[in-house]
Order: sequence, then structure tokens, then C-alpha cells
Amino acid sequence: MTDQPVDVEPGGENVAGEAPAEEPESVTDDAVVHDDVELERTIGLVGGLAIGIGTMIGAGIFVFPGLAAANAGLAATLSFAIGGLIALLVALPTSELATAMPRSGGGYYFISRGMGTAYGAIVGLGLWLGLMFASAFYLVGLGHYASAVFAELNVALPFSPVIGIGLLFGAALTALSIGGTENTAKIQNVVVGVLLVVLTGFLSYGVLDAVGVFGGGTVPEQFFSKGYLPVLTTAALVFTSYLGFAQVATVAGEIKQPGRNLPLAMVGSVLIVTVFYVVTIFVATSAFGADRLGEFGETAMVEVARDFLGLPGAVAILGAGLLATFSSANASILSASRAVYALSRDALLPRKASEVNLRYGTPHVALLSAGGPILVLVATGRVELLAEVASFLHLIMYGLMCIALIVLRRRNPEWYSPSYQVPGYPVVPVVGALASFGLIVFMQPASIGIGIVVMLASYLWYRYYAGDVTLKGDI
Amino acid sequence: MTDRPSILVPLRVLEGESVPEGVPELLAHAHIVLLGYHVIPEQTAPGQARMQFEDRALERLDDYEAMFEGAGATVERRLVFTHDGQKTIDRMIAEHDCMAVLVPNATGPVEDVLVPVRGAIGVDRLARVVASVFGEMDADVTLYHVADEDTTDDDIQTLLGGMADRLAEFGMDPLRVETRIDRDQDPLDAIADIADSFDTVVMGETDPSLATFVFGMPADQIAERFLGPVFVVQREPAPEDEDE
Repeated sequence: MTDQPVDVEPGGENVAGEAPAEEPESVTDDAVVHDDVELERTIGLVGGLAIGIGTMIGAGIFVFPGLAAANAGLAATLSFAIGGLIALLVALPTSELATAMPRSGGGYYFISRGMGTAYGAIVGLGLWLGLMFASAFYLVGLGHYASAVFAELNVALPFSPVIGIGLLFGAALTALSIGGTENTAKIQNVVVGVLLVVLTGFLSYGVLDAVGVFGGGTVPEQFFSKGYLPVLTTAALVFTSYLGFAQVATVAGEIKQPGRNLPLAMVGSVLIVTVFYVVTIFVATSAFGADRLGEFGETAMVEVARDFLGLPGAVAILGAGLLATFSSANASILSASRAVYALSRDALLPRKASEVNLRYGTPHVALLSAGGPILVLVATGRVELLAEVASFLHLIMYGLMCIALIVLRRRNPEWYSPSYQVPGYPVVPVVGALASFGLIVFMQPASIGIGIVVMLASYLWYRYYAGDVTLKGDI
Repeated sequence: MTDRPSILVPLRVLEGESVPEGVPELLAHAHIVLLGYHVIPEQTAPGQARMQFEDRALERLDDYEAMFEGAGATVERRLVFTHDGQKTIDRMIAEHDCMAVLVPNATGPVEDVLVPVRGAIGVDRLARVVASVFGEMDADVTLYHVADEDTTDDDIQTLLGGMADRLAEFGMDPLRVETRIDRDQDPLDAIADIADSFDTVVMGETDPSLATFVFGMPADQIAERFLGPVFVVQREPAPEDEDE
């Protein structure tokens, strides 16, 4: 990748008199360059995959199987496959946008430069809030797994500790992030590696068992035992599982060799995770049947593992579940603070919001402003609602990213020269947009309502605070 | 004399590191790549730190640049915000063709330079750095080798003599070059012990091995034990360096 010039000229000021930060002169394989100041890229392909997979793997594998099976039966495998297909239809256009604009900020950046400030503000603020809903969802999932630990130890508590534990871990994660950690990326890589190994072992055994290698196979369940519509409503619910690949785009400015690593990390993580999801649902519903699986709720996978491998299996999945939900929550909190940085860099939020604490070197304002609301959301304990609002806000962004790609391709500004191009243009981005917006229709009305309120609030904030700011590229 | 070799001077510019006393004079005859860098934790985007700290960092770099230029060096400067300081240093070495990296520590006027010579590999670059940086000073250079028991004096003299010849070719006064040989000691300990009698050390970068993986580069270990500045002369880049 040669030096890639950046020719996007933000302008205007917000009500606090802050202007958007100037764009870099160029981006290279190893750095983003501003005059004689450089921003080092340090995340390779493995790191990118770990971010994508690590964020995604928590919810889909460990929290949704029971809920999904209760809603859609064995056809929940199809729900996850539909989610994976939509994620892929978005990941491909996102890869093109990301290689044309390998800057941090992800979808917000692409949409604001491609379609203008208003769209960017709605998406950026929506992304920030969506990540809070996602983090809260993961933390409640973690709470369920921690409660299952108590149950496993036969500790009978007089109250449900799910929410309390979620709150505790939420506060701990925020404090941990403010304190700053080195080698977090390495830990994340190891965590993802361990999770994939545990899951591969578990699922391999499960598949063999389901097809009857160890004694009697299971009686196949009717595929659409709960009808067709639940397949789509479940796809809308579980789509939260796929939000992680967009986190790769959020740190695009820090990915080495972005022209190669961004597409591979985003598409690769979607494909890997989709396979794991579909196989997991297949194994789980084969072990117990959908109705009984649904009774186990958020920690159904622990019972599946116990059924196959006894206590060691249950303990392994329990540990993996804690690790995965913790990892996903941590990644989402960090992404939320990155979103704040992207917005304040463009003067859509106060510069103060992304201020870095000198002692710890961390963006304490952004982390606290995410941590606080996340705790409030965790306190609601509404797993399905949290998941769906997160999905809603991300699906809006995904649809608009596909549209932004079409807009940029049609107008073809000089600075738009991606090193990766989406196959099947214009069919893929068009179908990606339609599928993203279409999936929203199958969500609960409450989720849609909250999502719309968030978007309206974001737009009103933009009009009040930064109506004079222009971000669109030279088109 | 040949063109000035590029010497990388990395300074953690926002964490209190500054140019130690005597270092500008030490590098008066060099071309300096002045790297101000700031390592940030994973929670912070490099651009985020830049937005807040760039002005402060550039002011300091301006000051340092003026110090080096005042002493007679030519200076090229970069400021980098990074999550991985070592990667930044390695990239700067490659991009700016730096022949050596200085571990900056305070020093008085340089009168005695210690040059440990381990083997024939890298002698050419080592000689070039020594001749360029110290050739116009009134500094004495001691070529130092710690020999195995089974190495003959003739072999050692061939090695050190070859090095002295290279220095002469690059314009250094042969009268200022002497040799010293020790035997049957741990090379690292021997170098660290003898270094205290010298003002600065110039040594080659060792090829990575299991020992360096566990304990770190010998040059870095010397730099930690020695109170003066250390030049770490870089290995020749491998031809297939682009296969990252």
C-alpha cells in the first residue's frame, strides 16, 4: 500500500467554538501521518480477528441458544445463518469503505464523510449508545453465568444475583479500563484462542454425538416446529451476536496494512463465528430438544455440556462463558469510548469528552460516560430488549454504510480509492442495506421505539450543538 | 569522510525523558533522527492522545532539535503516538536507514570509547559509526574482544586488526586506536565491568536467539548496567525484509 492521500476537509464550529480536527496528510501501512507527527498502527491480522471474534463470540454462543431455541426451535440454526448472511453482506461493503478510509471511527466515519454530518451524527451517537446497550447485554449474560457458578457450587442465595453481579463487573471493567492496561491485546488474543479451542472440542464431540457415533442418535426434531415467522424474529434478536465485526472498523486507524488486514479481519471473523453459531444451535437442540433447552434460559449451554461430558464439561463451558461475556463487555466498552473520540475529534461532542488522563493515559471521561449509563441499563436486566436495541442501532448504521458505498461509488470523488472492492456491486450493498433495514421490522415494538427515540435525540443534539459543522468529503 | 550515518535518538518525550547532558556534543558529527514518542495504553486511540498532547510534545522536540543543531548535528525529527514503543523504534530504523540507535545517558567530553567486537559480522557498519561519530574528536578508541579459551591470539589479532584497518579506511587516526583482549569471562559481565572506565560504548546488535528472547538483547543489557550513552549499531537489513 503506497501512501494514500486524504482529501476530506471538515469545516465549521460547534456551539463551544471547537472546530473538527484536521485530517491526516496520508495513511501508510504502518502509520497515519500528520506533518511530522505520526500515529503508529500496531494491530495485525491476528489482533483484528481477535477483536472481531472476541466481541462476537460471547453473546451468540453462550447467552442466546436457550432463548433462540425457545423462540424458533431447531430452525434457530437458520436464524443464526440469516444473521451471518446479513453480517457478511455488510462486512464486504464495510471492508471497501474501510480500505478507502482507514481511520478510526468505523461506520460513523464512513457515513459522515460519504453522506454528510447529519447522517454521521445520528449514526455516531447511535453507535455510542448502541454499544452501551450491547455492553449491558453482555454484562447481564455474564451475571447469568456467574449465578450458574453459585448454583454449581450449591450456594443458595435468597435473591437473584444476576443483576448485582452484572453491575459489579460493569463497574470493575470501567475502573480497569480507566486504570489502563498494557498487553490487553495479547490477553484478548489468548482469550479468543482458548475459547475457540474449548468450543471446537465441545462442538466436535456434540456433532459426533448428534449423528449417533456414541450410541443412539437423537430423533430429529421437526425443523420449523414453531413456524416460519419466529425464524425471522429470532434472527432479529440474535443479530446482536454479529455486532463485533464493526469493532474492527472502529479501530481501523490502528490496523497495520489496512488494505489487506481490514477485509480479512472483518469477513474472516464473520465467517468463523457464523459457523460456530450454527453448529452450536444444532448441537444444543439435538441434545435436549428446543422446548427443554428454552427452559434452561441464558446458560443453557452449561446443561448441554453437562449432558455430553458430565461435570467437567459443565465446568469448562461455565468458565468459557464467563470469559467470553467478560471479553465481549470489555471490547464494547472500549469501542464506546473510541466512538466518543471519533465524535469529539469532529466537534460533534465536546473536546473534553475524549480528554486523556495524563496519569493513566486513558480517556477517563469517555469511559465514565459509557460506564455510568451501562450500569443503569444492566440494572434493568432485560436481556432481550438490550440485545435488540443494540441490534437496531447497529442495523441502521449497517444499512447506511451500504448506502454510503453506493453514493461514493456513483459520485466517485478523487480521494475515494479503496484497495479492496466489494464483489457483486451494486447487488451486494443494495441487498445488504435492504436486509439490514428489513431485519428491524421483525424486532419487538419496544426495541424499535427506543431505537427511534435514540435517533431523534441524536439528530436534535446535532442540530443544537454542531449544526454548523460540515464533514462530507470533496464530492 | 563519508556521508554522516543516521543515528536514531528515541526519547519518551512526554514522560520526563530529555536530552541528557553531553549528548548533543557527542553527536555533533552525526545526522540525527530525533524520535519523540509517547506510548499509550490500549484504551486510548493514538489520535486521541495526539489531539491533546501534540503541542506540548512538539515544543519539547523543538527544544531538543535546537540543542542538537547548536552542537553541529543535522537533525530530522518525528513525533509518534503508539501502543508499541519497540515497533515504532524498529520502524523508524528501517524507514530512515538508521545505522545505530543511541541509548541516551549523560556524559562528559568523550575521551575514551569502548567498542566491543564479537565477531566479523557487522564489523563494517560498526567501524563506520565509530569513525564518523568520533573521528573528528580527540577520542581514543579501544577495540575489545572477550575470547574463548580455544581462540588463538592470532585469530583475535586478525579480527581486531581488521576492525582497526576499517577505521583507518574511514579516516580515523590509527594512533588513537588500541586493542584489548580478555579471556575466559562471560562477555556481558566483562563488557559491563570494563565499561565503567569509558565515556561511551559502541556495540553491535546481536542476532536474535533464545538467550535474547529470555534476557533481552545484550546491547540493551549493557545499556541498563552502564551509566553512559550506548550506541547500538543495527544489523544490515535482510534482503527479504518486506515479507512482514
